[in-house]
Amino acid sequence: MKKSIITLLLITSVVITSCTSTAPVLKSVAYKGMYDEKPLVALIMPPINRSTNIDAKEYFHSTIYTPIADAGYYVIPPFLSMEIMKKESAFDAELFINSPLNKFSEVFGADIAVFTIIHKWDKSSIGSNVSVEIEYIIKSTRTNQVLYTRRGEIKYDTSVSTGLAGIGGLVANLAVSAANTAAAKYVDVARICNYYILKDLPAGKYSQNNGIDGALFAGANKFKVNLSSQ
Amino acid sequence: MKRIILIITIVSLTSCSAPTNLYTWNKYENSSYNFLKNTNENTTNKLSEEYKKIIKKQKGIRGEVPPGVYADYGFLLLQSNNMVQAREMLQKEIELYPESKVFIERIIKLTE
Repeated sequence: MKKSIITLLLITSVVITSCTSTAPVLKSVAYKGMYDEKPLVALIMPPINRSTNIDAKEYFHSTIYTPIADAGYYVIPPFLSMEIMKKESAFDAELFINSPLNKFSEVFGADIAVFTIIHKWDKSSIGSNVSVEIEYIIKSTRTNQVLYTRRGEIKYDTSVSTGLAGIGGLVANLAVSAANTAAAKYVDVARICNYYILKDLPAGKYSQNNGIDGALFAGANKFKVNLSSQ
Repeated sequence: MKRIILIITIVSLTSCSAPTNLYTWNKYENSSYNFLKNTNENTTNKLSEEYKKIIKKQKGIRGEVPPGVYADYGFLLLQSNNMVQAREMLQKEIELYPESKVFIERIIKLTE
């Protein structure tokens, strides 16, 4: 899957339309709490969906686990933890985002809780653009401090050109775009958003870059980006 | 400053030359979404098959089963009352990832 992500990112044309114009900051400075606390165990909280798209929560919930594991962290098994949270009436992350998190440390052994807030998920009615505004907040379950936060506005063009010219090509392109707006395509959009925003996450214990990536520059904590599959 | 540049170079080269990521996931995310959206026999079976593939073959850098996979596969086995194999999977999670002990032992106790 990672190979497909890399391939997709390679063929993806990325246009940064705007980002914070402050001087570059090292990751060890931008995410000092992560480097100080050295968390290992991550608990994924159910995404908070403030968008008008009821399916957006599942798109993100099913795609946030792999990038965090790939960054070198131990991720509490997502389905098992979801079952326990449901049984303990703790499935609404909105209730915990501003509350003490030490209970999650006791029950799950979690060092950090990963909150996701979906602010916007809009798809154009005619075209094949998806506009997403998403925020990630990683909090320490020990100190309750925010250790990592990024918020991005991502516009993703899901259309795939058939390469055909003229009216026939236009019809063919529209047909391909319509097929691409199926749920599977939106899972891909959420996957790309997750990987894009979480790629800045300091390398965890199981990563080969653990302990040395603090010397790299951090990405902007607020940004806008256009991504395209063409 | 020279040290920082050296570290950046090493990290960049390591990243560029890395053939794969830490783990390989096959079609896990699509199966996971389908299971989340609509849990039934078909989506459960497909997710189980994904777990089996992930456990059987890892082409990632670590060459290990990713965190959470044994345990979540165990969870599906628990749902289908396959208790012996479920506990076996949960134990494997603890063996491979000792940091999971706090949570997984709690689950094992619930099954007894």
